Amino acid sequence: MKHSARVSGSIILFFITVAAFVLTAAPPAGDVGPTYAIRNCRIVPVAGPAVEKGTIVIRDGLIESIGPADKVKVPEDAEIVEAEGLVAYPGLISAFSNLFMEQPARAEGQASPFAEAPQAQAQQPQEDRFPPGPGLLVLDQLKPRKATVDGFHKAGFTTVLSAPTRGIFEGQSVVLNLNGEPLPPMVVRNGAALHINFTTERGGYPSSLMGTIAHIRQSFIDADYYAARQAQYAKGPAGLKRTAYDPRLEALVPFVRDRKPVVFQCNNVEDIKRALKIVAEFKINAMLAGATEAWRAVDVLKKNPVPLLVALDFRPPAASMYATQGEEMRKKAEAEIYPANAATLAKEGIAFAFVSGANADASSVLKNVRAAIKAGLAEDVALKALTIQPARYLGLDKTLGTLEPGKIANVILVKGGIFDDKGQIARVFVDGVLFTYTEVSK
Amino acid sequence: MKNAALPRFTVFALLAAAALLPAFADGGDILIKNGTVLTVTKGVVKGDVLVVNGIIKEIGENIAAPPGVRIVDATGRFVLPGIIDSHTHVALAGTNEGSEAITPEADVGTVINADDTAILTALSGGVTMVHTMHGSANPIGGPNVVLKMKWGRPSEELVVKEALPTLKFALGENVKQSGRTVQPGQTQRYPATRMGANAIIRREFEKARNYMAQWDRYKRAAAAKTPPRKDLRMEVLAEVLRGERVARCHSYQATETLEFMELAKEFGFKIQCFEHIWEGYKIADELAAAGIGISVFADSWAYKMEAAEGIAYDAGYCAKRGVLVSINSDSGERIRRLFNDAAKTMKYGGLAEDEALRLVTINPAIQLGVDKIVGSLEVGKQGDIAVFSEHPMSAYTRCDMTIIEGDVYFDRDALVKEREEAAKKAAAPRGDGGVS
Repeated sequence: MKHSARVSGSIILFFITVAAFVLTAAPPAGDVGPTYAIRNCRIVPVAGPAVEKGTIVIRDGLIESIGPADKVKVPEDAEIVEAEGLVAYPGLISAFSNLFMEQPARAEGQASPFAEAPQAQAQQPQEDRFPPGPGLLVLDQLKPRKATVDGFHKAGFTTVLSAPTRGIFEGQSVVLNLNGEPLPPMVVRNGAALHINFTTERGGYPSSLMGTIAHIRQSFIDADYYAARQAQYAKGPAGLKRTAYDPRLEALVPFVRDRKPVVFQCNNVEDIKRALKIVAEFKINAMLAGATEAWRAVDVLKKNPVPLLVALDFRPPAASMYATQGEEMRKKAEAEIYPANAATLAKEGIAFAFVSGANADASSVLKNVRAAIKAGLAEDVALKALTIQPARYLGLDKTLGTLEPGKIANVILVKGGIFDDKGQIARVFVDGVLFTYTEVSK
Repeated sequence: MKNAALPRFTVFALLAAAALLPAFADGGDILIKNGTVLTVTKGVVKGDVLVVNGIIKEIGENIAAPPGVRIVDATGRFVLPGIIDSHTHVALAGTNEGSEAITPEADVGTVINADDTAILTALSGGVTMVHTMHGSANPIGGPNVVLKMKWGRPSEELVVKEALPTLKFALGENVKQSGRTVQPGQTQRYPATRMGANAIIRREFEKARNYMAQWDRYKRAAAAKTPPRKDLRMEVLAEVLRGERVARCHSYQATETLEFMELAKEFGFKIQCFEHIWEGYKIADELAAAGIGISVFADSWAYKMEAAEGIAYDAGYCAKRGVLVSINSDSGERIRRLFNDAAKTMKYGGLAEDEALRLVTINPAIQLGVDKIVGSLEVGKQGDIAVFSEHPMSAYTRCDMTIIEGDVYFDRDALVKEREEAAKKAAAPRGDGGVS
């Protein structure tokens, strides 16, 4: 009986595999797909000057060749993608999102220890399948959806970092190439960064922001101490007591010792300063996400350069003086002051990347980039902030972020300019896999 | 109640001024002419005060204005040192780390919120400096911070680095959570009694002593030895035990206050001040002998059991017995009426005008360890100044202007004018393109 059960299991597995293959629109990365030659498009490679009429050859998920039409030979086996009237850009990269996260984010703000409803908590003990902590890998809880992938494609995104959403030490993010629906072939880098949020613990310590800051500092101190003692033990264990294994500290060690990147969520100007103090104290390789009030911290950011993952959210933060002074001022700030964040940073020589942020819906991203451009940001800076800059921040600029031979074939074909009001994403290549969104009439 | 509408308006004025800095910054130079100058420490002077580069340069008659310096006419008005609030909780993102009984690692200096509109409220009452504190939810709270009320400036510019480092302690009802109903499934946080509060504080200081001894042993021993674990909680208590940080202790009743004084003697740490201390009048001589100040309300006693024996004469009586007394607000609203509260000690306690004014100027400055730089109008001190329409201890007075280091942060006349213009604009019919 046991034997036959195993056989039928294998058969079922076989059918599932076949079904998955049939249902998937295109072969996932790793499998050899068709070779494409995109012809007659305008090319904005970001790596160099634009090509007015060019050809891009994509083979085996990579850009094989790219350049003016008369310089690039179209291979015989290539499937021709006629792209006259379209503009080719590198696929956009969002270095911070909560893509494919299903667990709702905990409400922001500080929970008062006295305002909790412990009764409700006590009556409904819920097992947390993915308790937050520095060791959590967000990849384990992602649920990809075709509609979400399409939505991000239509906003021009081909690469997205998905970050966890709960707790102070929220866990580690994953970088995905949106090349289909099954998750494993999408993974570009798992454990990309540790994410820290200045929030509080429900019903326990820390219950205040100041407690949280102390907790973060003590955790880094403890992880460093843990690593130092382990190193000492490894050198010569004789006469030393073994350090008790601690999964939480173990997970933190690479971030405090080996400069693996840490992303601090910074929801207002003070968060930026708080994060920078911790970064300086522990010499952390950090990035600051959110940073919609970075324009208010220009002096501090110039003195302490740090990659900024700027969200395209123009609402003044809840505690900001622009939000607490009445609806009229709040609206004015949202319409006129906060959209100029990126322009101010660019003017001050502070580098940044744009991110899609917590939005599950990416459709507003390009609209908001246009608002940032209207507020004074140069278009080429905006484009870099969505391509090569995030690629650099993620340490992926050798393979992503520009259109160059040998790089991953993440290419978007846009009807009109990408920042035009009527710009429309027509076709998207991710890892050389073609997705068609708008039929282009000749 | 008129003042209540001011903050909103001020921010509007700041925005309208395009620059996001205070609209009235004068580069630290200002000449205030023809006022009645209440120096607090050097008597009353009829005349002028000149501030250059944020520092008081001259006080006297007929001071000539250096070129380009803004002149404020204070004819018929009173010029006094900026008011100092020795105990409040404004300009912070959060007040209590109340989850545990002992949290000295939770430093309010890490959660300054320079956008708190209570800063504007404070300025409208002549307040230029505050000691903003951890709350009283637990026996040992966190370190506090002293801020100047520089509205519109980055948070780091508000911090007064010269101030004495302090740590919040608390005793009594808040600590033992007597008003709290323990819900099913929840445990009562220790301590639940006054004796428990005292005991847990002693226990923590014992721990801190051991912690310090451990580090001392490590530093004396060979370098190869493993260092002890660095503990942020113990680090702060060690600062208290080394005398680098002083205690500010929330307490109401005489008995527990005396107990805490014994504890301080036993461990050799300094109590700078007791907070609220409604029964201070019962132990005024003990406080004076120990050199411990008090920071209290002027009235509003008997609002809870442990305040039942509070009396209006507490502040005035203690001051007369030689205790260093300050009047505090403990609030982002009362903060604009500290001068009114100080004046109450004239009726209840019989203090003279100048004695009452000390309770919100030089006395809190001494308590915060900043009396060398602020708290009175003296040449060489920082130009933190309030201009009042009448004597600040008069019931009819109001604050007209508040200046910090020579920069005007609150100007009533300018605000009223802008408000009238804004009202006029709002009343006018909207043209095309008006944003609703």
